[in-house]
Amino acid sequence: MAQYKENEFDVIVIGGGITGAGTARDCSLRGLRTLLIERNDIADGATGRNHGLLHSGARYAVTDQESATECIQENMILKRVANHCVDDTSGFFITLPEDDLAYQAKFVEACTKAGIKAEVIDPKEAVRLEPSVNPDIIGAVRVPDGSVDPFRLCSSNVVDAKLHGAKVLVYTEVTGFIFEGTNIVGVKVHDKKSGEDAEYRAPITVNAGGIWGHHIAELAGAQIGMFPAKGALLIFAHRVNGIVLNRCRKPANADILVPGDTVCVIGTTSTKVPFEECDNMRVTPDEVQLLISEGEKLAPCLGETRILRAYAGVRPLVSADNDPSGRSISRGIVLFDHEKRDGIGGFITITGGKLMTYRLMAEMATDLVCEKLHSASKCETRTTPLPGSGHGDVREVSKKIWANPTTAQKATAGRVGSLASGIKLKSIEEQSLVCECEEVPESEVDNAIKNLDVHNLVDLRRRTRVGMGTCQGELCACRAAGLLGKAQGCAERARKDLVNFMNERWKGIFPIAWGESLREAEFTEWVYSECLGLSEQE
Amino acid sequence: MKFDTVIIGGGLSGLICGLRLQRSGRKCAIVSAGQNAMHFFSGGFGLLSRMPDGSAVDSPIEAIEGLPAEHPYRKIGKDNVSSYASEVVPMFESCGIKLRGNAVKNGWMISASGLPKRTWLTVYDVDIYETKDFRPGDNILLVNIEGFLDFNTSFIAEALEKKGAKCRIAAVSTDDIRALRKNPSEMRSSNIAKMMSRKDARERFVAEVNKISHDTDTVILPAVFGLKGSEEVEDIRKSVDGNVVFVGTLPPSVPGVRTQMKLKNAFEEAGGVFLMGDKVNGIEVKDGKVVSVSTANLEEIRLEADSFVLASGSYFGHGLVADREKVSETVFGLDVECNGDRNNWYNPDFFKSQAYLSFGAATDNELKGIKNGEVIENLYVAGSVLGGCNPLYEGSGAGIAIMTAMYISDKISSRK
Amino acid sequence: MKTENIDNFEQCIKCTICTVYCPVVPVNPAYPGPKQAGPDGERLRIKNNYFFDEALKYCLNCKRCDVACPSGVRISDMIQEARINFSKKKPKLRDMMLASTDFMGTMATPFAPVVNAVLPLKPVKAVLDGVMGIDHRRQFPKYTGTKFETWFKKEAADRQAGFKRHIAYFHGCYVNYNYPQLGKDFVKVMNALGYGVNLIDKEKCCGVAMIVNGMADSAKKNARHNVNALSKAIPGNEKILTSSSTCVLTMRDEYPELLKVDNSAVRDSLALGTKFIFSLIDSGKVKLAFKKDYKARIAYHTPCHLEKLGWGVFSTSVLKMIPGVEFTLLDSNCCGISGTYGFKKENYDASQAIGAPLFEQISRINPDFVACDCETCKWQIEMSTGYTVKNPISILAEALDLEETAKLNNQ
Repeated sequence: MAQYKENEFDVIVIGGGITGAGTARDCSLRGLRTLLIERNDIADGATGRNHGLLHSGARYAVTDQESATECIQENMILKRVANHCVDDTSGFFITLPEDDLAYQAKFVEACTKAGIKAEVIDPKEAVRLEPSVNPDIIGAVRVPDGSVDPFRLCSSNVVDAKLHGAKVLVYTEVTGFIFEGTNIVGVKVHDKKSGEDAEYRAPITVNAGGIWGHHIAELAGAQIGMFPAKGALLIFAHRVNGIVLNRCRKPANADILVPGDTVCVIGTTSTKVPFEECDNMRVTPDEVQLLISEGEKLAPCLGETRILRAYAGVRPLVSADNDPSGRSISRGIVLFDHEKRDGIGGFITITGGKLMTYRLMAEMATDLVCEKLHSASKCETRTTPLPGSGHGDVREVSKKIWANPTTAQKATAGRVGSLASGIKLKSIEEQSLVCECEEVPESEVDNAIKNLDVHNLVDLRRRTRVGMGTCQGELCACRAAGLLGKAQGCAERARKDLVNFMNERWKGIFPIAWGESLREAEFTEWVYSECLGLSEQE
Repeated sequence: MKFDTVIIGGGLSGLICGLRLQRSGRKCAIVSAGQNAMHFFSGGFGLLSRMPDGSAVDSPIEAIEGLPAEHPYRKIGKDNVSSYASEVVPMFESCGIKLRGNAVKNGWMISASGLPKRTWLTVYDVDIYETKDFRPGDNILLVNIEGFLDFNTSFIAEALEKKGAKCRIAAVSTDDIRALRKNPSEMRSSNIAKMMSRKDARERFVAEVNKISHDTDTVILPAVFGLKGSEEVEDIRKSVDGNVVFVGTLPPSVPGVRTQMKLKNAFEEAGGVFLMGDKVNGIEVKDGKVVSVSTANLEEIRLEADSFVLASGSYFGHGLVADREKVSETVFGLDVECNGDRNNWYNPDFFKSQAYLSFGAATDNELKGIKNGEVIENLYVAGSVLGGCNPLYEGSGAGIAIMTAMYISDKISSRK
Repeated sequence: MKTENIDNFEQCIKCTICTVYCPVVPVNPAYPGPKQAGPDGERLRIKNNYFFDEALKYCLNCKRCDVACPSGVRISDMIQEARINFSKKKPKLRDMMLASTDFMGTMATPFAPVVNAVLPLKPVKAVLDGVMGIDHRRQFPKYTGTKFETWFKKEAADRQAGFKRHIAYFHGCYVNYNYPQLGKDFVKVMNALGYGVNLIDKEKCCGVAMIVNGMADSAKKNARHNVNALSKAIPGNEKILTSSSTCVLTMRDEYPELLKVDNSAVRDSLALGTKFIFSLIDSGKVKLAFKKDYKARIAYHTPCHLEKLGWGVFSTSVLKMIPGVEFTLLDSNCCGISGTYGFKKENYDASQAIGAPLFEQISRINPDFVACDCETCKWQIEMSTGYTVKNPISILAEALDLEETAKLNNQ
């Protein structure tokens, strides 16, 4: 390899979502000197704002065979290489009395054609296996759906990229490109933390900015017609279902209920939104209403279950026609070689697709990068496990590290997989809990602050689940702020960060704040304004 | 089961009301569905720190006339509030709870985040200062208990350094503390307090503090002493070298639990019946008056009384409950003052005034409950279940609890 | 996947009040505490039952967390139910023996003099301690030579038909095998109040000790048997009464909520003796005549399970009616024994530490005796303080002028 200057790379990847993180990992695994640039935190965009469904592909089988095939292949790969991010729950496609049971046969046939194992089971048996499911179902098909933790998955890709020499810049925004003739040879960036501007150079730049990739392409002088489709979701306070529940019909609103870690998620809606709203999505009361009423059809107890929060993400769809809902647009992967398409050399856009197919997207983008760089190295991400994976499930991992694992040790192993062995968790003091809902010990928080690009409490939440439990940061956020303040050596910054964090939590709470959630919100208000004196200052 | 007055709710308001009635010779029962908000006490009782428009309040009693007419203080009247205010310190004292502060003027205390916070009275552990620019000392040592995450020394130090104090942060450990840390989920204030209630454990702790308190004039400690009585607080003050200042922790609040226990004991010593862990589940109203209530535990044995007090608390105490459309009062189904559409309940800024916190039971000018527009003649409403005020924003939660309780006990005492 | 009926953990808003009132946490760091063991743990256990923690066995099941919880979360049920569903540890022989009160009682009663003489002996205690894990410092309750049931059949049964009104009496293991005097007092008092007493046909141990010792199946068996036996006692009896707060709590609340045994046919008929007596007095149905010279300084301890039932007020109200009684209500505090918990070697120190504040308060007050509605509290307090502990029913039997009372109520 040639000698590089500090700001010179083989490839620059823009966007720290799952596609960018996956591409950066793939590139660095192939020996390319890689720079990953993210304007906020990793997994801040659509990556962190979806169902967390590990699609089997069944959902697309009838309407989009290509996507379905991609999904089932990636599904099987992720269960191997990312097993600590994946919960192999299996899934049901249920037919309700109001649905057409004839669709089931079509569905099973399409699944089979795409290579998805789809097994028709007796509705009664389905109810026995998944007691939360609507008991009125008239049909059920079992498919290999599961759930995936997108934060963990994204973070693991970043960790592995760094292990293989990649440099990662978060809170760094691309402000422009450096051209040599018609070729892009680098990027201009603004570091939001330090306020400084800088330049980085590489013969190839990959735009993996998701919906924001639209703007990045514009900066490069290319037009890609992105279609921002908002999807709203609700998180319930515990796992109501153990098995993913889908409606066996043409995909529609709020027809998937996914159990993920300690919670479950219902979604989604689909509405076109203007680009300027992409940075500040709000869930409307109508969307909340729709999600609950449709959700109750899947699992009737959802109507009575406590809702933790509402959130929305933007699907980075590439528009093909003027469909106002965005549903009929292909979820397929879009790879643009802008040299061929727009005459802009050294610039690639990878977009479309979905969380499920991120690895494939990364592989396709990296293949093109390698082609352009005349590198012959082959993709390894199909078989190489992500850091933390490949050592069995939480039981096996825990057993290998500790003789009699405590609850906190198990919880940490559940989140970071085999990397738990590298976290100081031996002595009981190191297990002192920061977050009690999710059992996050102090040492895991310390590890995240030191090693996982954590700059504030929101970042910390994405890495560790601190503040994701039922209390939504009521006590843990304050404890974590203390630890972060200590690590950063600035209490004032940590206090401001705490205020921001609580506002970020509240944003997702107030759309669903009634019942116990409102009660908890009142208690939290009490803690923050009465005890901590953090209410609006005079 | 016959009483003169049955009080629903065993928090600050219910206890003050019951105690005052019981001491004036009336037989009272308190039904309490679990413990209460005193467990999250900041260490300071607020009477009124801020007007609804956000302007700061120095003299709370003077400010009362500027409040809207539906505010509970306006219903009680400035003169009554003033006279009750002077009664609070001696009343608490008679229950073994020492308070600090000035009945007519707000002071300042150090909040758990270190920022100064307006307050009216404080529990004895917590110092109260006359002005916002106070400084508890010049050379301050902040001591935490090792492994205790609910006391944020760096926040407090930063806030005090802004005031010009020199701060040093330390964490102290002893064998007792190490033993406690073996339980990662229970390193909480109340458990530390239970451990510190042993004199030997306290002595070992103090010895460690004194080893490092050289060159300091003031030692700041978390308020985790004296779950059952303030003697331990006194003991720490005496045995630690230098001026000792206690700062509140995240809940549970040790001074709050102690205050609650003392008030409850005083009520029971005065002959009151306290039904803990019970819940009213039925009411009997005849001719505009409540005749009796039934409870989950007492079953067919109903609680009868001449008058009833609803002091069931806000959402936290389940006195109020919100569903998707409305907020309801849970025991008697009283009318609730509420902003209709749920979109209007919240401010997207968590730290600004939240409308939902001002919802509550409707009352007439004597704090008698109103149901379907009709006054229930012998039902009084006290404390945070009341509407017409935003206690968190105004800093008036404790004040409203105490003032309404005193006012109502007077009203009941003057009934024929 | 989802545990039935325990979904009210969602009401937990993490206020941590439960932890303030847990007697185990301050003395045993191995216990994760009620919030963690209960609602927090429940979310994790639903995710993956690998998160079940065997340390839940340190829960006393005193239910103080439930009483303190402002959110109405059934914390202790959640903990016991998790143990029933997920614990892989089989109960030890020791636990099975401690839990099988009927079996042990039946075996021991005929040999009571021998058993009573042998149990306190050092070598026996050494064996119990070393082999069985029953702490050698623990004093064993004495077994009686004549079971209560035997006495009742011989001495009292015939008279009962002569009363116009009747109640059924679930005497429990303790009255039957260890302390028939309480049963005799109960019959005396009820008769004086104009009520004939009928026993339950073949009652079995309520099962509380089986529940906490991980023998849910045996407990369920007893529960089904008892519900059936109790339902047969409903015709002809106004209520089914116990003199033990724990027996009534178990049969009334633990059967349906924890063991999932439907007791709806009998639940409303179950009450503690003092509750029934209070309601008779309160509604003017009975009158009491007390001895003129009765005098006693009584300190009343509310057993945890009575605290949970919320019926302490009945026992204390009845005691306070006795002229000549100087009454003190002791602070709400677990005595530490919690049934069989304090018998186990591994729990002995914790058990005594939990009870210490109560013991200190009793010595400070120095009453003539302590009053309490629970038999295991009685053992613990008597062993730890030297003060005698009497059931309020026995106190009533002493304080009432039984003949005069009988005249007032048997016309």
